[in-house]
Amino acid sequence: MATVTFDQATRSYPKTDRPAVDALDLQIDDGEFLVLVGPSGCGKSTSLRMLAGLEEVDSGAIRIGGRDVTDSPPKDRDIAMVFQSYALYPHMTVEQNMGFALRLAGVAKSEIARRVAEAAAILDLQDYLDRRPRALSGGQRQRVAMGRAIVRSPQVFLMDEPLSNLDAKLRVQTRTQIAALQRRLGTTTVYVTHDQVEAMTMGDRVAVLKDGLLMQCDTPAALYERPANVFVAGFIGSPAMNVLTGEVVDGGVRLGTAVLPVPRDRLARASGGTGRVTVGFRPECLELVPPGEGVPVVVGVVEQLGSDAYLYGTVGDERSGAPLQTSDVVVRTEPRHAPEPGQTVWLRVREDALHVFDPVSQVRVD
Amino acid sequence: MTTTLPGTGTTEVRPVDVPRGRARRGRGGRSGKAGPVTYTLLTLAALVSVFPLYWTVVAGSHTNAELAETPPPFLPSAGLFDNFAAALEQAPIGKAILNSVLVSGAITVGTVLFCTLAGFAFAKLQFRGRGVLLALVIGTMMVPTQLSVIPLFMMIAELQWVNQLQAVILPTLVSAFGVFFMRQYLISALPNELLEAGRMDGASTFRIFWSIVVPVARPAMAVLAMLTFLTAWNEFFWPLIALTTANPTVQVALAGLGSGYVPQQAVIMAGTLLGTLPVLIVFTILGKQIVGGIMQGAVKG
Ligand SMILES: Nc1ncnc2c1ncn2[C@@H]1O[C@H](COP(=O)(O)OP(=O)(O)OP(=O)(O)O)[C@@H](O)[C@H]1O
Ligand SMILES: [Mg+2]
Repeated sequence: MATVTFDQATRSYPKTDRPAVDALDLQIDDGEFLVLVGPSGCGKSTSLRMLAGLEEVDSGAIRIGGRDVTDSPPKDRDIAMVFQSYALYPHMTVEQNMGFALRLAGVAKSEIARRVAEAAAILDLQDYLDRRPRALSGGQRQRVAMGRAIVRSPQVFLMDEPLSNLDAKLRVQTRTQIAALQRRLGTTTVYVTHDQVEAMTMGDRVAVLKDGLLMQCDTPAALYERPANVFVAGFIGSPAMNVLTGEVVDGGVRLGTAVLPVPRDRLARASGGTGRVTVGFRPECLELVPPGEGVPVVVGVVEQLGSDAYLYGTVGDERSGAPLQTSDVVVRTEPRHAPEPGQTVWLRVREDALHVFDPVSQVRVD
Repeated sequence: MTTTLPGTGTTEVRPVDVPRGRARRGRGGRSGKAGPVTYTLLTLAALVSVFPLYWTVVAGSHTNAELAETPPPFLPSAGLFDNFAAALEQAPIGKAILNSVLVSGAITVGTVLFCTLAGFAFAKLQFRGRGVLLALVIGTMMVPTQLSVIPLFMMIAELQWVNQLQAVILPTLVSAFGVFFMRQYLISALPNELLEAGRMDGASTFRIFWSIVVPVARPAMAVLAMLTFLTAWNEFFWPLIALTTANPTVQVALAGLGSGYVPQQAVIMAGTLLGTLPVLIVFTILGKQIVGGIMQGAVKG
């Protein structure tokens, strides 16, 4: 068990004009479950592979348990990795797959058998120890890949989208199993996913990456409550936060013909003299108010989920009800009294739930 | 990769089990049963392929005079054994077969080993000059053997290896074709993640080669072994130059057969049969295992 530190770690692939991972600073605590999340191509896998020793670090440093491992080969880092494709050795049985690393390390046969049996019991793989990977289902293969990592009792687990090859239901099940297993073993874990729901449900903390840059790293709750910038605000949460940019008027921001009230000091700091400001509010932070108050929205589509209903609409003109601005707004409402498509509803944003961003730098303003 | 087809969950491997993905695509959804047309065509092709061998048996069991008759004989006869005896008397065929087994065996082991090593390096390892080196290796395929014969013979003579088996073995211990073949196979059959998993598990490059690359490469290695063994067995030009009829390989020994004022066709044919039989027997017996071995590794996990 160990801490993990990325210290200004940078990786530029040859013949590319910008780094795949750009001066990444991350401090991961002992026993922590950290999730790296971000859109495709943002550098998640590259960061993980740098930590694994499979990718060079062009500048900066990586430390595991306080030891600088920037230039160490993977085998000297005491880490285990679960690959997206599982990368099980096709010609070895489940037992041999799980015991391979121990065998290489010269662990005694009886000890290998004991640890493999233990891991197999944890992962419910006892009945499959003699099978080859091709005779296993996707979920079983995934568990073997996990087993191969845990028999080694490494300092750190690395997982690169280990659930993306499973079907939706199994993914949700396995998600909780992995999180529970990690808590039980208490091993520091870095987990890569592009799925923000996975990130939010599994991670002690979540690091959001975009274009090789770290956007924010915080607990799931903090990411949700206080996104550091427009990107995180839009990336975390489903459906996404409503983010609108409008002209600053006295006491608020103009959306269509209505004015959304914004505290004056935040308005002043966010607009920075540009006369515009970006505001964000989550779908569940809107209240329906009597016509004439708040911001009018013309409902386009109503999505009934049973427990909730989501209205997808556009900010509309107060008087005519015709859309003035094409920005989409999502609203969560009571499913039983949901408005009809085409209707105009008036909304108010709960004051504590309003996020304000600088429209130029996209940074949060409090 | 994660889908398991019905019926693929069993552990035993049937001998004529085509890699499934390819089989499905190739037949485009039609049923797997072959029709009468397929059988007729296959039978014809088999007959055409077997005919030369059959003719060798027929010709080898008659005399020159009988062969010259019209129509020629169509059935083998007991004369075969007389001709065998004549052939064995005229050339050291026993020794030649032993020599050929040694030479072809050594060449096969060497070629498969070195080509797999080099193919792996070219396919999966990053090193400076990789492209240039590969181009050079492939370039050697363009050089005709005849061009290198004289310098090669001078080297062999210098080493005083003339008429010794290593003179035949050494120059063909690795082949450019084999290197290229193994490289192409490993590029497509060996996922990088498997090698990375090996590195994460603490394996050295050498260990990765033995424990991961070789098992994955086995089907291609078997094919290369078969091709190499047959080529080496049938090689005539260079052994004829480097060896003498006193210490020949099968092909060199056969060259010395039936040479007289009138070539003794029947004896030559009988000798040819003797020289071909060992290979034929080995491949008949081992054919199933070889095919089985090929297919066992071919189904990806
Ligand atoms: N071997 C490589 N050579 C050059 N560029 C690469 C290489 N591998 C990745 N990249 C680039 O680096 C960037 C980050 O890639 P990376 O694989 O880390 O993305 P990712 O966040 O894991 O994405 P995904 O969710 O699609 O797996 C991408 O723009 C990618 O094109
Ligand atoms: Mg990735």
